[in-house]
Amino acid sequence: MKKTGLFYGVNTKKTALIGKEIQEAFGENKADIVAVEEAGKKSFEQYDNLIIGASTWFDGELPTYWDELLPELENLKMKGKKVAIFGLGDQEGYPENFVDGIGLLAEFFEASGAEIVGHTSIEGYTFEGSRALRDGKFLGLAIDQENQSDLTGSRIAAWVKQLKKEFN
Amino acid sequence: MKKYDIKTTDKETLKKWFHLMTLGRAIDEKAPAYLLQSLGWSYHAPYAGHDGIQLAVGQVFEKGQDFMFPYYRDMLTVLSAGLTIEEILLNGLSKATDISSGGRHMSNHFAKVNWHIENVSSAVASHDTHAVGVARAMVYYKHKGVAITLHGESSTSEGYVYEAINGASNEKLPVIFVIQDNGYGISVPKKDQTANRKVADNFVGMKNLRIIHCNGKDVFDSMNAMTEAREYAIETSNPVIVQANCVRIGSHSNSDKHTLYRDEDELSYVKAADPLLKFRRMLLRYKRFSEKELKEIEAEAKKELSVANRKAISAPDPDPKTIHNFVIPEPYKPKVYVDGTHNKDGEKINMVTAINETLKAEFRKNPDTFLFGQDVANRDKGGVFNVSKGMQQEFGENRVYNAPIAEDYIVGTANGMSRFDPKIRVVIEGAEFADYFWPAMNQYVECTHDYWRSNGQFSPNITLRLASGGYIGGGLYHSQNIEGALTTLPGARIVYPSFADDAAGLLRTSLRSEGLTVFMEPKALYNAVEASTVVPDDFEVPFGKARIRRSGADLTLVTYGNTTHLSLQAAEQLAKEGIGSVEVIDLRSLLPLDKGTIFESIKKTSKVLIVHEDKVFSGFGAEVAATIADEMFRYLDAPIQRVGSTFTPVGFNPILERAILPNAALIYEAAKKQIQY
Ligand SMILES: Cc1cc2nc3c(=O)[nH]c(=O)nc-3n(C[C@H](O)[C@H](O)[C@H](O)COP(=O)(O)O)c2cc1C
Ligand SMILES: Cc1ncc(C[n+]2csc(CCOP(=O)(O)OP(=O)(O)O)c2C)c(N)n1
Repeated sequence: MKKTGLFYGVNTKKTALIGKEIQEAFGENKADIVAVEEAGKKSFEQYDNLIIGASTWFDGELPTYWDELLPELENLKMKGKKVAIFGLGDQEGYPENFVDGIGLLAEFFEASGAEIVGHTSIEGYTFEGSRALRDGKFLGLAIDQENQSDLTGSRIAAWVKQLKKEFN
Repeated sequence: MKKYDIKTTDKETLKKWFHLMTLGRAIDEKAPAYLLQSLGWSYHAPYAGHDGIQLAVGQVFEKGQDFMFPYYRDMLTVLSAGLTIEEILLNGLSKATDISSGGRHMSNHFAKVNWHIENVSSAVASHDTHAVGVARAMVYYKHKGVAITLHGESSTSEGYVYEAINGASNEKLPVIFVIQDNGYGISVPKKDQTANRKVADNFVGMKNLRIIHCNGKDVFDSMNAMTEAREYAIETSNPVIVQANCVRIGSHSNSDKHTLYRDEDELSYVKAADPLLKFRRMLLRYKRFSEKELKEIEAEAKKELSVANRKAISAPDPDPKTIHNFVIPEPYKPKVYVDGTHNKDGEKINMVTAINETLKAEFRKNPDTFLFGQDVANRDKGGVFNVSKGMQQEFGENRVYNAPIAEDYIVGTANGMSRFDPKIRVVIEGAEFADYFWPAMNQYVECTHDYWRSNGQFSPNITLRLASGGYIGGGLYHSQNIEGALTTLPGARIVYPSFADDAAGLLRTSLRSEGLTVFMEPKALYNAVEASTVVPDDFEVPFGKARIRRSGADLTLVTYGNTTHLSLQAAEQLAKEGIGSVEVIDLRSLLPLDKGTIFESIKKTSKVLIVHEDKVFSGFGAEVAATIADEMFRYLDAPIQRVGSTFTPVGFNPILERAILPNAALIYEAAKKQIQY
């Protein structure tokens, strides 16, 4: 049985809420929650499927708990593993860097050999630029609690359904 | 491969950085206490939140090679570049021994001029054009280095920032523009400044320009960005913008209260983004330092600050008796023509030729001379009036060149070039016509402040030529006399010759002097026969020495520029008609003013008429009249009278121009009345 790890900042405000909702959508005991604040290299390598989350801060930056962790993960060996990314952002407040964090994490984990899954359509979002874009799609799930919180539930449900397929 | 990261950067380096950052923060946090105790530092703009980029700029700065133009928030930048704590405190406390300015300039304006950490203005970003100018000189003299100029993102809205970046891009100059983006200009959020969230993106279309974004709150990202920027600028001789993403943890300055416009949530998340704490956490997390080691560094920093503090607070305060020091450097003193007169015979030349030949002669003599301005360097043309004709052919494109239509840029880069080496002399046509000089006023003020503000450490050595005045049917924008607005600013010499020989002599003296000289050229006289004279080779005229162009006993007539000739005509007529003899004094220099010559004449005549082309109201004559009233009242037998233009702009139709500008008949009438008073 493949192990799934759900990584996010447990001390955050909004990201942690979304993380929990994703876990619920997966079903009980289907995914372990791992606090990014405490995670190390090994925490990542022990999973086959990873769901990782990050909001975007300060015009296109990862939150500092991610920033401080990434150097530790430099030689991470993720070949054969699948990584799905969810990101929080504000498309009205920061339309030039909407959910850039998804893109930053995708680039990082790709470089360590992982396959990025869980791409989603940009339909329904309005923004100007995003590092999370590739071939016209988001490299993960974009959640906008500031402007589209009413869509969050259905977005999560659809994404989790998609991941269950892609995570085999 | 990035050069710096938490895992591989050597421990000594990390220690140095942590020490500097800790120290800087300790000073930043102590500054308000000085104000509370009324010891000084009444202007303090805390840098907390900019720590990464400021550390990096200071570390990347190469003393002896680079020039740095820090802004008022750059405390860690200068500490990181090598200023001592005591030097920082002495500026903060405005002491006589403050190496930046001896207490003359505001606190939080740090400089170390002999290291080329320049003393800059408080007018945001006005040093950008200085950085471009100094980089131009670096390239000309084949000096390997960069000019680094720093300011916030909001200041980038200033037009002169665009002029500077455009110029550096066009001239391909090694300038690093560091934009420290903390999201605010005082209380104004950056969305009210420009449409792009990242203002550097406004410049993406500019050629030769590299734009690097970095996290200014992160030491490593900032170090890598600045290292890359400096390498690129030097290797390719091109400008770079480094936009550093920062937060402002505190208020804009001690006179601002950010709780009035930032909510609790925001205050808490910017605090949580503290770059120093992040760096500290990383040093521990990656086991580069133990908690004990860091505590030791912190304790050491505290001690250093307390030692420096004791020294700084007991340092002497500036002496009020010194306020007149360093207003403007001592000028060159003519040795042959001590009073600026001559009796040579020979062929007369006109004023344009006299100026042109003097420029050429001085350029031949001094290889460190440069001339630029709008339209000054075409093959068959040299300026709108041909004053610089033939100069580019003789001295080459690197010494004589056209400038973009950006007057502020012309003056600002001339100022910057002067910073490279005090031997440099820059001649600029400040604008095509004096009328178009107004956009350069900010830089003009900078030029007049530099010497005083730096306590005599730097003076821009510039001759600023301006084709001035009317009588050419030029209308509102080709007729202005702007000396009335300029003479009120201390820190410049202002001359306004009316004859070819005086023009040549004053220009030569100006080119041999340190400091700023405004050289006003009455353009109506460029080719005029009455202004043509014999001009001895090597003629020199000292500043502040008027010339009596006609002697007389019944009336002193003080004038300059175009009206010298009109006054001479009027005097001739009055003499012919036997009404009286008028002594016509051509001031030649307005600043400094030759009071001695005026006063001696008044003692003889007891009457005075002041004539100039500019408006009577608030024209320079008002100052001359007030000076005479103050100091010579007891010698006067008649009220002081003035003739000049009406208090209107100058109209284009010659009928209007004639009604506005003074003429010989008007002067004749006024002089006659004075004589007969
Ligand atoms: C200062 C600040 C900067 C932000 N910058 C971005 C951004 O560049 N792009 C984006 O999509 N969202 C941006 N956001 C929005 C956040 O990502 C969003 O509020 C998110 O829900 C925060 O989640 P968290 O509190 O769990 O970190 C920013 C929010 C703040 C307060
Ligand atoms: C030419 C000029 N205009 C206005 C001011 C007043 N002023 C001082 S600081 C400041 C805000 C500058 O903001 P920014 O460039 O973002 O730098 P920050 O202070 O945020 O670091 C202003 C408007 C000034 N000093 N100079």
